Amino acid sequence: MKPRLLSALLFAALATAPAFAADSITTVPGADKITTKTLPNGLKIVVWSDHDIPNIALYNWYKVGSRNEYAGITGISHFFEHMMFNGTSKRKPGEFDRVMEANGGANNAYTSSDVTVYQDWFPRSALELIFDLEGDRMANLDFDPKVVESERGVVYSERRSSVDNSNFGSLIEQVDATAFTAHPYQIPTVGWPSDIEGWKVDDLKNYYHTYYAPNNAVMFVVGDVEPQEVFTLAEKYLGKTPAQATPRPITTKEPEQLGERRVNLVREGEAPLLVFAHHSVSGSDADMPATELLMSILADGDSSRLHQQLVEQQQLVVDIEQSLNSGFDPGLSYIYATLPPGGDLAVVEKALDAELVKIANEGATEAELNKARTQQLAGFWRGLATISGKAQALGTYEVFNGDYKKLFQAPADYEKVTVADLKRVATKLFRRENRTVGTFMPAVKKGN
Amino acid sequence: MRSSLNRLFFTAALALSAPAFAADTAMPAFERTVLANGTEVLLMEKHDVPLIAINAQVRGGSLTDPAGQEGTASLLSDLMQKGAGKRDAKTFAETVDGAGGKLNTGSSLSALELNAEFLSRDADLMLELASDALIRPTLDASEFEKVRTLAIQSQAAAKDGDPRGLIHQYGAAYLFKNHPYGRPVGGDETSLKNITLKSLKAYYQSQLGGDRLIISVVGDFKAADMKTKIEKAFGGWGKATGTLPVVSARQKETGRRILLIDKPGATQTYFWLGNVGTNRADSERPAQALTNTVFGGRFTSMLNTELRIKSGLSYGAYSGMLRYEQPGPVHIVSYTRTDATIQAIDLTIATLDRLHKEGISNDMQESAKNYVLGQFAPTLETGPQMADKLSELALYRLNRDEVDLYAKNIRGVTPEQFSKAIAVYPANADLVMVLIGDAAKIRDSVKKYGPVTEMKISEPRFSP
Repeated sequence: MKPRLLSALLFAALATAPAFAADSITTVPGADKITTKTLPNGLKIVVWSDHDIPNIALYNWYKVGSRNEYAGITGISHFFEHMMFNGTSKRKPGEFDRVMEANGGANNAYTSSDVTVYQDWFPRSALELIFDLEGDRMANLDFDPKVVESERGVVYSERRSSVDNSNFGSLIEQVDATAFTAHPYQIPTVGWPSDIEGWKVDDLKNYYHTYYAPNNAVMFVVGDVEPQEVFTLAEKYLGKTPAQATPRPITTKEPEQLGERRVNLVREGEAPLLVFAHHSVSGSDADMPATELLMSILADGDSSRLHQQLVEQQQLVVDIEQSLNSGFDPGLSYIYATLPPGGDLAVVEKALDAELVKIANEGATEAELNKARTQQLAGFWRGLATISGKAQALGTYEVFNGDYKKLFQAPADYEKVTVADLKRVATKLFRRENRTVGTFMPAVKKGN
Repeated sequence: MRSSLNRLFFTAALALSAPAFAADTAMPAFERTVLANGTEVLLMEKHDVPLIAINAQVRGGSLTDPAGQEGTASLLSDLMQKGAGKRDAKTFAETVDGAGGKLNTGSSLSALELNAEFLSRDADLMLELASDALIRPTLDASEFEKVRTLAIQSQAAAKDGDPRGLIHQYGAAYLFKNHPYGRPVGGDETSLKNITLKSLKAYYQSQLGGDRLIISVVGDFKAADMKTKIEKAFGGWGKATGTLPVVSARQKETGRRILLIDKPGATQTYFWLGNVGTNRADSERPAQALTNTVFGGRFTSMLNTELRIKSGLSYGAYSGMLRYEQPGPVHIVSYTRTDATIQAIDLTIATLDRLHKEGISNDMQESAKNYVLGQFAPTLETGPQMADKLSELALYRLNRDEVDLYAKNIRGVTPEQFSKAIAVYPANADLVMVLIGDAAKIRDSVKKYGPVTEMKISEPRFSP
């Protein structure tokens, strides 16, 4: 268990108002022991020793995602993520997983528009093995044509479940493709069907060479380890992989949207859906904390404005949620409403629009701002309750904000936001010409 | 939401299989007290983050739903947050959100549950809200109408979503038809319409009370203080007036029967193959956890190797066992593109046959032990995980040995125990099969598996 003293200090810090003085750093137990090292080949490693449980979380972040794709190879970042488990010149397809699991480890990975993250969770005893496996696939990945074909089927199955057979998944894909006309955030991370069918082994090889280089990755190791043993293993297993030329930067900026766009999806189903997507800011933008708090005031929790208005009072929708992209480039802020069967999309759209006009014109209250800040603060602590959560949080701030240390400034950043900031951001964000509206309407059933 | 795609949609599978246990992880010290009204209290200090988690379970749950009014316990749990004590619904929500807290209520088959996690500075507020919700819910008429309407509408909306989220509900309902374990925990569109505020209030009087309450609190507090607070908050809750139902075991089924749920336009078929499995207190649970790991509980499992890794037919295939006081379902789940339906189901059945015929090699037994031991500690890392585990052990009247001795028990599983655990999975002749897909395209071909019953996904219930 961690020392108890720190929680007493935290309690004192939380009990004073304001909870965090501007520019303050939040003290998290053990955070002072975080150690970093950059190998000569450019691989940066961040280690947070945490001996609560005898396990380790290793997150390897590659700065590549569907944002780096173009017509013909959409979805290849995500496909590549799958191929990273499928064999090297030293290990046959399947051996990576088989060896890891036989030694008590488990893994997963995810791909977004911006990054691809590989996650290993394992007992201390497997530490050296994991570095061997990670070093091998960073340096020696191999592409067996038979495995490429089989994995193509796996990814297509994933697409069918998460997009094709889900009205919500299909609608969001269409909204993204409509909201972005120039920037590659228009690309669905899973890939367009014809590209899933069309990737070639050479496309994968090019991709590997360009993006899977030590200088394009940051590794986070959190748990029952000491920094020096991690650095020694990293030198041994990852230090010899050569750096590559810096990948082509993504320079396209989405031009300002000049008018509302709409996409209306009609097919089999029961419950109509409505999505509003507004162009927002990048993850590192100074207005991101204010944007997060604004979206939280609108739709986080049962007391939020939109839940109270649309679910509880007007009873127009079954559910209303928000989400906010915070990647390398300016992304979208989304509000999604699920209507009851037979619900009237036009009425809901009007009511939602009225709420956005209201918060842009009148702003939010100090009480709402305080509530949203407290929700963020509690979320900050929940995120740091596990070794996995710590690895994810460090990675987010290191990769998108340029320094993992900014994680510990996050509560103070939320403190700095004023009600005037919220109004300014709302006015900028919720303009109708900045909006893409997506609707799903159930098709009239045959025979009815 | 810009999609962030995971390599595995495995979380659900792992959660449904017997939880992995134990790299010599002993449960940290905790205190157990029984209050005068019968409430069982479990307290564990944990000081790594300034949070407190609470898990309260009231014995009964959906098993106590009146016949024809399935979903009563679930609906009551929803309504508990919609006004309680001195707060109306809006004030209650404002108070939770304003403190940055999380407070969720719900029902499982065996218990009505309340889970909360607040900053430790708000411990008193959390206890006030939790005890208000459980002991002093307002049960307001207009809130009741809203909650019931929302529950009905949400069920229709869920049927438009990813069928992976629905298949277990249809599977359990069909396998356990006319048995309490087949009841939809959240009710269905028909049964929810039969619930009235009056019936709900009667249910509350009959089925909730301090004598049925288990309350576990884990986090950044002093146990002695917390004990006093819990006693004050929950010690005065009277007893439930009704009786708890006795559930009899459903026998394993012989032969095959098939339910085809028509989702017109679906490009994939989702399938669930199952039978009656085993119960929560089964002393062979360690061997069963290991066997499930090998068969369908991890990425390199037999099922995932065949259906995903080797053939590319599916994004995932897994197996698991749901355990209650009596045996719950043992199931296999996967999905594939519509035109490969038969190929994938045949391969699944062939893999099941191979498990029965060839058993599990010594190497694989060792691999499974390492995996289960290596993945145990993170399952008890946080306050909410620990509170949930303490309550679960109390609910099934198990003691801490299950955690403390699990590493030893896992290591000690013998080849004979593996063989015995394999027998929990049905033989291929005895399968209840549930399929969601485009019936027009697969109706004829699936008849080869046995007699087929058909229903539409839009029907307001989960079994024909």
